[in-house]
Amino acid sequence: MEEKYSSNVLSGKLGMVEVPDSRLTRYIVLLILSKILKALGIFESYDILKVVHIVQFIFILKLGSAVILLVFQKPFSSGKLISKRQWIKLVKHAVLSCVISLLGFFGLTLCGPLRTLLVFEHSDVVVIALLGVLFTNSGGGPSKTRGAAVFIIAVICLLLFDNDQLMAKMGDHHPEGHHDSALTHFLYTTIALLGVADHKGGVVLLVISLCLKVAFHTAARKLSVEIGGAKRLYALDNLVSAAVLLPWVVVLSATTESKVYSWSSLIFPFGMIIFSVMILEFYVESICSAKMEAPRCARYGSFALFLSAVLLANFWTHPLTDQLRSMSKPAQQVSTEHVLSGGVIVSAIFFIMASSILSSPSKKGQKGTLVGYSPEGTPLYNFMGDALQHTSQSLPRFIKDSLKQILEEYDSRQIFYFLCLNLAFTFVELFYGVWTNSLGLISDGFHMLFDCSALVLGLFAALMTRWKATRIFSYGYGRVEILSGFINGLFLMVIAFFVFVESVTRVLDPPNINTDMLTPVSVGGLLVNLVGICAFSHAHSHGGKSCPSSDHGHSHHGHSHGEHSHGGHGHSHGGHGHSHGSGNGGMNANMRGVFLHVLADTLGSVGVIISTILIRQFGWLIADPICSLFIATLIFLSVIPLLKDACEVLLLRTPPEQEKDLNCALEKIEKIEGVLSYRDPHFWRHSATIIAGTIHLQVMSDVVEQRIIQQVTAILKDAGVNNLSIQVEKEAYFQHMSGLSTGFQDVLAMTQQMASMKYPNDGTLIM
Amino acid sequence: MLPLSIKDDEYKPAKFNLLLKLSGWFRSILADKTSRNLFFFLCLNLSFAFVELTYGIWSNSLGLISDSFHMFFDCTALLAGLAASVISRWRSNDSFSYGYVRAEVLAGFVNGLFLIFTAFFIFSEGVERALEPPDVHHERLLPVSVAGLLVNLVGIFVFQHGGHGHTHGDGGHGHSHSLFNGSLSHGHSHGGHGHSHEGHGGHGHSHDKHGHGGHGHSHGGHEDSHCQNELQRPGEGSSKQILQGVLLHIIADTLGSVGVIISALLMQKYDLMIADPICSMLIALLIGVSVVPLLKESIGILMQRTPPSLDNALPECYQRVQQLQGVYNLQEPHFWTLCTDVYIGTLKLLVAPDTDTRWILSQTHNIFTQVGVRQLYVQIDIAAM
Repeated sequence: MEEKYSSNVLSGKLGMVEVPDSRLTRYIVLLILSKILKALGIFESYDILKVVHIVQFIFILKLGSAVILLVFQKPFSSGKLISKRQWIKLVKHAVLSCVISLLGFFGLTLCGPLRTLLVFEHSDVVVIALLGVLFTNSGGGPSKTRGAAVFIIAVICLLLFDNDQLMAKMGDHHPEGHHDSALTHFLYTTIALLGVADHKGGVVLLVISLCLKVAFHTAARKLSVEIGGAKRLYALDNLVSAAVLLPWVVVLSATTESKVYSWSSLIFPFGMIIFSVMILEFYVESICSAKMEAPRCARYGSFALFLSAVLLANFWTHPLTDQLRSMSKPAQQVSTEHVLSGGVIVSAIFFIMASSILSSPSKKGQKGTLVGYSPEGTPLYNFMGDALQHTSQSLPRFIKDSLKQILEEYDSRQIFYFLCLNLAFTFVELFYGVWTNSLGLISDGFHMLFDCSALVLGLFAALMTRWKATRIFSYGYGRVEILSGFINGLFLMVIAFFVFVESVTRVLDPPNINTDMLTPVSVGGLLVNLVGICAFSHAHSHGGKSCPSSDHGHSHHGHSHGEHSHGGHGHSHGGHGHSHGSGNGGMNANMRGVFLHVLADTLGSVGVIISTILIRQFGWLIADPICSLFIATLIFLSVIPLLKDACEVLLLRTPPEQEKDLNCALEKIEKIEGVLSYRDPHFWRHSATIIAGTIHLQVMSDVVEQRIIQQVTAILKDAGVNNLSIQVEKEAYFQHMSGLSTGFQDVLAMTQQMASMKYPNDGTLIM
Repeated sequence: MLPLSIKDDEYKPAKFNLLLKLSGWFRSILADKTSRNLFFFLCLNLSFAFVELTYGIWSNSLGLISDSFHMFFDCTALLAGLAASVISRWRSNDSFSYGYVRAEVLAGFVNGLFLIFTAFFIFSEGVERALEPPDVHHERLLPVSVAGLLVNLVGIFVFQHGGHGHTHGDGGHGHSHSLFNGSLSHGHSHGGHGHSHEGHGGHGHSHDKHGHGGHGHSHGGHEDSHCQNELQRPGEGSSKQILQGVLLHIIADTLGSVGVIISALLMQKYDLMIADPICSMLIALLIGVSVVPLLKESIGILMQRTPPSLDNALPECYQRVQQLQGVYNLQEPHFWTLCTDVYIGTLKLLVAPDTDTRWILSQTHNIFTQVGVRQLYVQIDIAAM
């Protein structure tokens, strides 16, 4: 629906002129390919940098690309002559570019290719947008702020949660063994002064050099105009920087002995790096930024680059690729590879998000934002120009609004508080797990997160229930809460089933469990869940009136009892709920689902604690599976009433609590004067508050219809039906309809025929 | 002349003994091709699972046992489909005034949800394994997964082919009934029509089954009310949702087996330990994506959404109703789907005091019948002067 309208003619015309995607596809493919090659090149150069000195490496790169570019670009023979002042500028430019690439590649040696690619290879658009948000007031709206926040989170992730064990281990001595030059030594000592591990220092270094690079590119723009094109500048720049580096390289190779055994074996890798990192990428990027707007280019490029970097990092050290590489290269000693840790992956995801947010065009308002739908279903657009355009909803305001909505009502408030508690516990667990690098804690944390999904579902349902009815959902969204209860119930069933199966296999073959770690975590979980049970069962007894369910025992048995009486209560409530109000007395399906979920979790923790104690005290290894068997059965039993109720509602059953009243009402209707009979009475519960009904009444031909409708409406309203439609039929009409209904399919067939003939079909033909 | 509504308590079955009940179920399962197919496939699956389980216990291999439990879990999807196809044929009674036809939507929904759960679990396990590839013993994997693949291929074949063969047989069937009742043969043609947007068969078939139900029911009533009932009754709820759900489930299983086989091969040949998690993640994604339409559709139906196929037609109909002579306003239009292709609508018309309400009523019925709303309730309110 939404897509259809957003690609409306109106919005298409008013939006910015976009080149059809099909023509751009080949450029995008080219761009992605070049980025993948570049990632490959960076990985390769990391390997080479282990044997080749960094200055030599850069020199060879610059020289090689200068030679190739001289052939292609012919900077001397074409274009106007370069004056002396321009030469001086060019030299400055070259020196700066040397410094930046020195820093960049030094960062590469420090923190590995993946992290370098993640930090250093952001396009200028992204960085400028980021700096704009950080250091100016008009950053470009909330979405940019969000992007900047994501970017910073990514960098922090890389700094703090990246457990690069290898590098931490080697933190004391330098990975290179000894320093080849004063420069490297100087950089090392600077980083050591900062007091961080090597790769973290590398990240900081890379961030700084990234900023430098962007500033450099911006500054170089003027020069490139003077010189006559970016390509010419690039060619000359490579040449000059090779010349600048030459003396240093000469001195270096004179003073230190080389670690390289044979330069000839390095020709192929060098050629590949020069081609992919220096030349191809430059050309492709310049072509693409000419063909499409820079932000788009940056978005696709960085996405491809980061993704391929992550994939490469995974496969680079793989035996298979090692095998492949060993064909072209001498085998290396067991290398000091940087491992792929969770922190890096998280930060890669964040970087991708950040670059796509930051590089997205900021003027979405031009399209005429979809404001909503009118009651008839036509979309309403907001075409107010720049004055009223809001690019994206500000995140804080959105949060504030939805918070207000959540806190408005008891149910959602309850769920929300408990969700917060649960999430806090989970995050503490996760952080601690990542910090101490313990897999058990992390997996438990993820399990908790998964549990939270049930709560989120419940919360969402509680919010959605309050949405107003739309044209499409003409009865409103009240059913969401029943669906959510149903889904939660099913979910619990599945979990119970799996627990059951696993415990059966464990009964057959009890494994040895190490009980040390279990207790504190499960006690913590138990406490959190107990709070939840208290909160929810309070809500429960509150709505359901006095119910002796306050027996929250301390033992496992006490719990199971409490739970059973709860379940039973919910059920019996369904039985005679009418007695106290036809409104939403008692707990709705959604809350019951959430409650049961929390209960199941609690039971799980209790089971773990009990079985731990039993195993420790008596060494009964079988206690654990038996406990889980027991718990699975309990969960199963307690979910059944919820599922049954929800199923009945979803199958459009006449509401059980209203059934008797409705039957009485129907009898009364038959006794109304003038009513011959009724047929097809359908009554069903739509949601907690809406009971819908439809009925056909056959009346004598001489009565006033309106009076009968009013009477029947009143009677049924007493019985609790609040969304009613009554069709009154008189005898003649009924005969007509029975004639018509024989031909229901005829009507359909005729309609299709008429539609194909473009015949004006006003429906009178059948009469 | 007019039918009188009857409190038909005699529909409620008396207490049978278990054996009779079982045989009754059995017969009702076999009476219909969809459920028969489902039942046979379920039996095949169950027997495979049992063989696996006994062999697992006999050879004391945990892997086999857990795999057989997984098979049992898979069977629940089939079981749900089977139960739904039987339940949806139950007659309507006082409590369930629309009958149980919604069971099929519910079954589709449940199947979809189960698939999503499965996909999620597989995915999370895949991620876990990708970070830390475990040593998989791939020697024993191959035979089991190949056998599973074969079983599932049989399933796919049965459900696709069975549907096709079925539509053939159906024609004759419907026609024989048309002696009794004209609308049934029409129902058949409609079933064929609805079929066109459904890849696999079995569609026309279930329609027939429903026609049976409707037919049996209408026998109780007058000859006159017969046709009327035929209109109102969800005559041809084709169990599209059930079949879709079951088929998706089987396809997911098949994909799983294929994935296991491929990754086992990769691991044996190239020692690519990472192939296994990547395969399973891909499969999980595939399952998740393929389930989404089914879930979306069934949630829409369960939430009484306006049928998507009527989305465009309805505003035009409203307009036409409002243009009728004497109609002032149209209020509270509710249209929703009972089960596949059965739409129900209610609306209120505000009319001028001196109009012929009968004419308006029949006109309105005509207009909405043309777009395919089978059951319409029009409440006519006469505007105050």
